[in-house]
Amino acid sequence: MARVVLSSIEKRFGETRVLKGVDIQVPDGGFAVLVGPSGCGKSTLLRIIAGLEETDTGSVTFGDRNVTDLAPRDRDIAMVFQSYALYPHLTVRDNLAFGLSLRKTPKSEIAERIKEVSAMLGLDALLERFPRQLSGGQRQRVAMGRAIARRPQVFLFDEPLSNLDAALRAQVRVDIRKLHDRLEATSIYVTHDQVEAMTLADVLFVLNQGCVEQSGPPLEVYARPRTRFVASFLGSPAMNFLTAEAEQVGDRLKLSAPGVDLALPPLTQPPPKHVVVGIRPHDVFFAEDGGLQAEVDVLEALGSESFAHAQVGKEAFVARLPGSAQPARGSTLRLSVRDEDVHIFDTDSGVSLRAPEAT
Amino acid sequence: MSEASSRERSSVWEEVLSHLFLVLFVIFALYPVLWVLSTAFSAGTAPERSIWPIPREPTLQHLIGVLTAPSFFRQTLNSLVVSVATAGVGIGIALPAAYAMSRFSFLGKEAGVRVLLATQMFPMVASAVPLYILLEYLGLLDTRTGLVVCYATTSVPFAIFQLRGAFDGIPRDLEEAAMVDGATRLGAFVRVVLPAARPAIAVTGLFAFMSAYNEFILAATILGKEEALTLPVVLQRYVGEHDAAWGSFAAGSLVVSLPVMLLFYIVQRHLVSGLTAGGVKG
Amino acid sequence: MTTARRPGLRLQLMLLVVLTLGVLTTAARAQDRLELWHAYRGDEKSALEQVLARFTKQTGIAVDVLQVPHDAYPSKLSAAAPRGHGPHVFVDSHERLGDFLQRGVAAPQNAHPIEAELPEKALTALSIDGKRVGLPLAYKCLALYVNTALVREVPDSWEALTGLKQSLPSGVYPLAYETQNVYFHVAVLHAFGGRQLNADESFGLVGPPAVQSIQLVSDAVARGALPEEASGALVSELFRAGRAATVISGTYFASDIGDQVAYRVVPLPKVAATNSALAPYLTVEAAALTPKGARSADALSLVHFLAGAESAELRARVGKQVVTRRELPEYSKQSPFLSAFALQTQSAVLMPASARMRSTWEPATRALKKALSGAVTPAAALDEAKRRFDDVVRPPPPPASPTPLLIVIGLLCIGGAYYLYSNAKELGPRFRESLPAYRWVVHAVVGVFLLVVLPIIVGAGASLYAGRLGEMHYAGFANFIAILTARGGPLLTSGSFYLVLLVTLLWTVLNVLLHVVIGFALGLVLSRPALKLKPLYRVLLIIPWAVPSYVTALAWRGMFSKQFGAVSALLEAVGVEPFSWWARFSTAFAANLSTNVWLGFPFMMVVTLGALTAVPKEVLEAAEVDGASRWQRLMRVTVPMVVPAMLPAVLLGAIWTFNMFNVVFLVSGGEPDGTTDILVSEAYRWAFTRQAQYGYAAAYSVLIFLLLALFSRGMARAGRTKAMA
Repeated sequence: MARVVLSSIEKRFGETRVLKGVDIQVPDGGFAVLVGPSGCGKSTLLRIIAGLEETDTGSVTFGDRNVTDLAPRDRDIAMVFQSYALYPHLTVRDNLAFGLSLRKTPKSEIAERIKEVSAMLGLDALLERFPRQLSGGQRQRVAMGRAIARRPQVFLFDEPLSNLDAALRAQVRVDIRKLHDRLEATSIYVTHDQVEAMTLADVLFVLNQGCVEQSGPPLEVYARPRTRFVASFLGSPAMNFLTAEAEQVGDRLKLSAPGVDLALPPLTQPPPKHVVVGIRPHDVFFAEDGGLQAEVDVLEALGSESFAHAQVGKEAFVARLPGSAQPARGSTLRLSVRDEDVHIFDTDSGVSLRAPEAT
Repeated sequence: MSEASSRERSSVWEEVLSHLFLVLFVIFALYPVLWVLSTAFSAGTAPERSIWPIPREPTLQHLIGVLTAPSFFRQTLNSLVVSVATAGVGIGIALPAAYAMSRFSFLGKEAGVRVLLATQMFPMVASAVPLYILLEYLGLLDTRTGLVVCYATTSVPFAIFQLRGAFDGIPRDLEEAAMVDGATRLGAFVRVVLPAARPAIAVTGLFAFMSAYNEFILAATILGKEEALTLPVVLQRYVGEHDAAWGSFAAGSLVVSLPVMLLFYIVQRHLVSGLTAGGVKG
Repeated sequence: MTTARRPGLRLQLMLLVVLTLGVLTTAARAQDRLELWHAYRGDEKSALEQVLARFTKQTGIAVDVLQVPHDAYPSKLSAAAPRGHGPHVFVDSHERLGDFLQRGVAAPQNAHPIEAELPEKALTALSIDGKRVGLPLAYKCLALYVNTALVREVPDSWEALTGLKQSLPSGVYPLAYETQNVYFHVAVLHAFGGRQLNADESFGLVGPPAVQSIQLVSDAVARGALPEEASGALVSELFRAGRAATVISGTYFASDIGDQVAYRVVPLPKVAATNSALAPYLTVEAAALTPKGARSADALSLVHFLAGAESAELRARVGKQVVTRRELPEYSKQSPFLSAFALQTQSAVLMPASARMRSTWEPATRALKKALSGAVTPAAALDEAKRRFDDVVRPPPPPASPTPLLIVIGLLCIGGAYYLYSNAKELGPRFRESLPAYRWVVHAVVGVFLLVVLPIIVGAGASLYAGRLGEMHYAGFANFIAILTARGGPLLTSGSFYLVLLVTLLWTVLNVLLHVVIGFALGLVLSRPALKLKPLYRVLLIIPWAVPSYVTALAWRGMFSKQFGAVSALLEAVGVEPFSWWARFSTAFAANLSTNVWLGFPFMMVVTLGALTAVPKEVLEAAEVDGASRWQRLMRVTVPMVVPAMLPAVLLGAIWTFNMFNVVFLVSGGEPDGTTDILVSEAYRWAFTRQAQYGYAAAYSVLIFLLLALFSRGMARAGRTKAMA
């Protein structure tokens, strides 16, 4: 088990800069999730950690080993691929044994580990089958098993759940977390799915256009997004953004726009004239004197809760309502929001004006 | 109701028409083969004019004559050794090259592809003489090795196209997984990529085998010893300008065709997938 | 680290073993054996083998024998012998030896006492520029075989002989011989005072004697007194079956007919109209030394042995040869058969031995066939032949100065160097990045460059040279100019580049079209999900692909045979009189076409099957829901989706068809009159017949290459696929 440190990783493919100086630290035994939209460089970063891609600058260290120039096979890692990459010509058993036999592990130990892994993942009945005879979920488990059987220093996951259907995905997500807690190996997990990111991570890295936009424990990142991008990326439905005029009135910051009239504690610095106000759908509640007026377009009733797709001024706004609320189409909702749940971003840079400075 | 039954009826008609169409072409495909068969087992040097490919005065004389001809065993061996070696060497050379073309980008790759394609367009007529001189220089005239060297290298361009297509169809994840699991690039290639490409390799190997097994112009030029000849050269002599031993030719054809047809039968399962994944697609 | 390497090593080791095995098995061969090449068949072959066995027994010198098919004999010999390969001793007839001497295929030999035992006439035929090339073994000429059961009194004239038609049983030809073969026809020509090659070395088969001789023969054919388009095989078939009363043929015919028929041999009759006898060619078969053999005392003693008395006795008795000895073996004197041939040799005409003589055969044969088929008048056919002859023997283009070429090459080199220099900054890192990849391709690059690309470059370079192999000189673009101007003749005359190109295009387009249509239709039907017996159909339909293509081609040639072909039988069954498929362009082309269609449709079928897997069922169902009819679904959904996947295969198929030498060469052989030749087979003829004008053939090849390169570029541009480029 080892701490994984990446420092100033840069990578370009031809003219395109894919990674623009990335620093990442994953504590020993930690579960790090790299999340970001497609094309943000997260997979390239993972492949650099694996050694499948060479970095142009910077270094990769596992514990006190600098592995930057090592081949993948010398890094003592295991990786679960998005496509699972099961060897089609080998049975499940041989797939599990592949890495071990390459490392000349004694036969008896290989058998031992296969037994252990297949018990852990419920693969016993499948050992003699070929990958083409397995369902998607079974393949996924074999891919996991192949990684686990290796007992590597670092586990790498490259969107391992994206080929599963929703129900299975939720279940396997839980299984992966359980396995991690049991194996206590350092894991690095790449995904574009914010639910996976939130639920799995000890530490979350949000990547955008080749840079880490924010990192930290998932809840902290969720609660205090440092940029508009991070704010919009985490949470479902996504955060609402409204452009508003900001004005310092006494010790209150007044934010006003059509349908918006909010007064908040002041910022640490004088506000620009225009700001972007971010409010999560889940953070609003009914209030007679609420500062938000939203006209309902569509109501999605899910039973336990409902989502009102509405307009504040001319801008789209989604609000979570209790399951009991049944506002008619066209009716106007008066909503309120707690002061600390209002996020304020710079219009141009998208940087949060409220979040505390990074530590 | 009537809708359903008319549908059913049309599908029955379709079935019948499909079979008719197929049977027609099966007859077209089989007829020459049967003609050769009947000629091989008919008495006399030339067959009789008849529609029905049925042996007249059935006899084994041609078959026995061909099989007991001096050097026949040796010549068959030549053909088989040369063809198997051609397939082996050709594939052996083409495999790594095709893999590199599929997986790496390197300086000169595009130019290389163009040159390979161009070699397919230049008629052998003009390059046969320089090749002859080259083989002579290498001291390989009159040898099986000489033939293998010629055939293998001429089969390489097509094999590279074919295999590159097959490799393109194999996800990179596979060998990356193997490399993460502890294999070198070469180890991943041998242990993971090659097994996954088996159908395409079989098909490509079959083509290389056939190209060598069927070639006669070069063989007739290069080989100058009775016991070095390959079967096509021998067979062609039966029905040359001044000979017309059709019976012997047909019997010889049977003997010659049998191994290829057998191979074809074994590999034909993979033919569709092998070709689709393969070079014919690019 | 080592674990992963091992399988790779194993693979390489296996390759190595295969290679060494191949080398070892071929390397283990004796060095001090003599080699002898010949083109004998039947009895002559066994006689020769017996002679050699005696030689080995007496001298202890082993001899390896190779029988080379007659048609491949000269080109094979002239490829091997001048470079010190091939045989020590070879057997060939006198008319080729002069040329062989000039080109270093044959070596002169010193006078030897054995010459006193050999007839002066034969020795003279083997004296070239005062040098003796080879020693005579036997005379060859034609004579008349008479079926004694059918004809008791042999008429002494052609007219009377062919007139026997009336008195013979129906279905019996009074006379049979290979009418389309110039070697045979010349006997008739001589009776009219004509010559194949005039004394001034000009083409002789023109003018009144030639026309009259052809007229005589075609009259006889028209009367049913001579079989039409008879091949050697048919002639012996007829004679054996008692369906030909007399046959003109050589001594070898005896071994073809065996002892099924009672016959005797008499000299050829005369032509009543001219009152002179048919006079066949006389050739002198000789055993000659190659330069390699000339250095070996053993080889010389083999030649002497072959010409000696013991050998002569065997060759006469077993091989039925008219041996050339002053003192004939006892058997020759007593055999009426050999005596008859010996008698005929006295009136036979010695075949001219000049280089130009060899260029007469191809045009003469074509003209003879064409004239006898009645397609054109004899005079027109012969005029055309003369033009062809003059074309082939035209002097090679004058040497040109290579300076412009050298300047161009120099400029290109400088340009290339400058490009490298100016882009060094960019190319350098790219090159270093590419190094790992190069390790994977280096052996393929070396192999393909050495054995494929280099010969092609040399071959292409040869297109700038003229003259025969071994004596070529730089001629600039003269070959290209000659080809592209149709050698000064009309642009669309037969044999011109443009006409051949048109035929080639027709050939390619029709073939590819039929391949694709048939293959696509079969693939479509075979991919119907509900079809029964699918695997069986698939296996059966793939068979044509599995059969070696030369077997296919020769089998189809047989099937189209007028005499015994199944296609002719089929036509007969529906009431069409069997006809010769090779007499007309349309039928010969159709025969080639059907052979190649048979050969090629399974490939397209398999390609279609593969491409069809790329069409998801859902898309077709979506189209059906959208109201598309079956036909519309096919044309608007399936075809557009399948085309990109099939296009590269079609392109490749077109390239292969364009260069499909085997079928054209083996099925129609260019007949009639070279009209069904395509560019490749035309190039082949220039390279290996027609005085081996290799540079000219190379220029053809370069043009073929340019055409194909242009075509595939165009296709790649037009097509949506980038796959081939």
